[in-house]
Amino acid sequence: MSTQTTPGTEPAADSGSTVAEVAGRGESLPGKVLRILLTQRIALLVLLLATVLITMTQLSANNYLSAPYSTSYLAATLINAVPLVMLGLAELLVITSGRGGIDLSVGAIVSLTGMVFGFAYGEWGWSLPAALVLAVVFGGLCGAVNGALIAYLGFPALITTLATYYGFSSLALVVNDQRPINSQPIQDLYSTASAVSLPFLPDAFPRIPLGVFTFLIPTALVVWLVLARTTYGRRLYAIGTNDVAAEWTGINVARTRFTAYVAAGAISGLVAVVTVAQFASARPDSGVAGNGMALPAITIAVLGGVAITGGIGRVAGVVLATLLIVWLNAGILLAVPGNAGSQLQLFALGVVLIFAALLNGFSNRRYGGTS
Amino acid sequence: MSSSILTPAGRPDGEPAAVAPQDGGRQRLLPSPVTGQEMVLIVVIALLWLALSLATPAFFTSGSIVPLLVGMTPIALIGVGMTIVIITGGIDVSVGSIVMVCSVIVAQTMVGSGLPLPLAVLLAVAIGGVLGLVNGVLIAYGRVHAIIITFGTLNLFRFIGLQVFGSSTVEGIPRTLNFFGRGEAGRTLGIPHSFVIMLVIAALAWWYLRHTAGGRHFYAIGGDSQAARLAGISVRTRVLMAYVVTGLLAGLASCFVLAQGTSSLAANVGSGLELAVIAAVVIGGTSIIGGRGSVLGTVLGALLVQTVATGVTQLGWRSQLSDLFVGLFILIAVGADLIRQRTRRAS
Repeated sequence: MSTQTTPGTEPAADSGSTVAEVAGRGESLPGKVLRILLTQRIALLVLLLATVLITMTQLSANNYLSAPYSTSYLAATLINAVPLVMLGLAELLVITSGRGGIDLSVGAIVSLTGMVFGFAYGEWGWSLPAALVLAVVFGGLCGAVNGALIAYLGFPALITTLATYYGFSSLALVVNDQRPINSQPIQDLYSTASAVSLPFLPDAFPRIPLGVFTFLIPTALVVWLVLARTTYGRRLYAIGTNDVAAEWTGINVARTRFTAYVAAGAISGLVAVVTVAQFASARPDSGVAGNGMALPAITIAVLGGVAITGGIGRVAGVVLATLLIVWLNAGILLAVPGNAGSQLQLFALGVVLIFAALLNGFSNRRYGGTS
Repeated sequence: MSSSILTPAGRPDGEPAAVAPQDGGRQRLLPSPVTGQEMVLIVVIALLWLALSLATPAFFTSGSIVPLLVGMTPIALIGVGMTIVIITGGIDVSVGSIVMVCSVIVAQTMVGSGLPLPLAVLLAVAIGGVLGLVNGVLIAYGRVHAIIITFGTLNLFRFIGLQVFGSSTVEGIPRTLNFFGRGEAGRTLGIPHSFVIMLVIAALAWWYLRHTAGGRHFYAIGGDSQAARLAGISVRTRVLMAYVVTGLLAGLASCFVLAQGTSSLAANVGSGLELAVIAAVVIGGTSIIGGRGSVLGTVLGALLVQTVATGVTQLGWRSQLSDLFVGLFILIAVGADLIRQRTRRAS
């Protein structure tokens, strides 16, 4: 816990730069660049992202890829970033709340809430806004189960969310007898996943999936505002850094942590709507099929510089990490088409994650670490 | 340990006994062989078995008990390793991927060259050990939280496994491993071999963790790794060992998984296994914070999980409901553990 001398993200960046000014005297330029890259996760992510984009564009220009790595292709792949960023932000909130905070159940909440949304919108004939609100509230309730157990009763987060993962995913399968809901209204919802061309911009500008504007950007904006501009955000960083000290400064630690899990559940509820729209069907296993949604979300959060020990993490890091992974994956699919490509994506994800984590450990030891 | 800011560092079960000497002045340093949680588990399992055999006459027949015992062996076996890992304060979420890599390589080698049984087991255990070593080196020497490293290796190992699979299932696996299966070849006097092997390994691990200095070191590391290091324990070597043992056992478990399967092996083998194993360990009373836990509890936890799965199917309920019960059991187990901690602290 020697790394957490600063209470949060914004201060971390601030003190990072003051440390830089102090240490910057008598330091050579390459050394300074290296230190910034190693200690500022955002800088490293930008560099990696630029490397991926430049390399892929070069490969594309030399016809090594099966299709051009163009801006319209990149824009189209952003549809994959929508659930990833949102769940990454959910993990950001709970991991930052500290004390081993983590949420393995987000994928299961997506499955279960997707089914509830499917019933409301596809079977009971609710209007879209009403069903959307229901999804968010229901997701929040699932998160409240986690939050109550973890924050008020002191259950370890990893185990609690493992248990609710089992519970929610089991209920999602049972509730409609393992059958998906794909009635007409649900299938019509597919249009939210389609691409739109922006007004006021020339036609040459790439068409970006609508989900980016309706779900991703609002969520990221709200989470950023809450974390960086409200007292709740300050409290969350405080309890994540040292919850005993936070308690003594008069912060209601349990309620602050509880709220983080509720928010993570509510975001998962939104992701459920996105997923239903994307597949034009409410599938009972949408959030837990394969490796599920929780593992990639946690991976993205950690890659984005969220400290697993709590108290450190930024929205920009999560967004950049998602863009890095999504656009790297998109490039891999073009370079190595088909099954081999999707396998190589697993490899890339694993290597990037371990590399980032080891680098983090190294830079913390070398520079005293502001992450 | 960052995850335990408020709770005092986990301590071995026997601490209170050591503080209050009662056996004629001779201090008991060890907990009683069967702790509270394990007693509760035994009672719960006994009640479940009783209820199930009353509800469905088919339950207490060898046709139902043998698959139950064989079915729990992979989870219990990996659970032994996972218990050690969690006692040190770590976690390993890559075991499902290790099982996948081992089983696909062994299956393909058996199809290709008719590998005999001992060599197949040796191959699986060796591969598992190597993958465990990768985890162990990265965690012990990289000084990164175990969950991050094993999330990474989960993807890496899965990649290796899929490469070996080569985008198709393995077909026509010979029945070399029937010795571990649930069929007639897998039993002596009606007792399945895989279950006996699992029991022997679990018993060895139980004795090692309880009665040797080396075993107690794992508890010390989980309690407070700084203090353990200052006390002269080679923390890195011990942590490395925990992950290698888990890898070795996952390798052996992959043989059991193959033996229980059909003659074809699909790429989804082992997925989700890590969560089932962690569930069994936690239901068995091992503290996720580290420093407390026992192998006996893990074996009982695995037995409980498998009993619930069997029971739900035999009662004709939807099989997916068993996961709901597993979730509930985890919460009850953790809740019971918390209550015990609080009463202990209060006394």
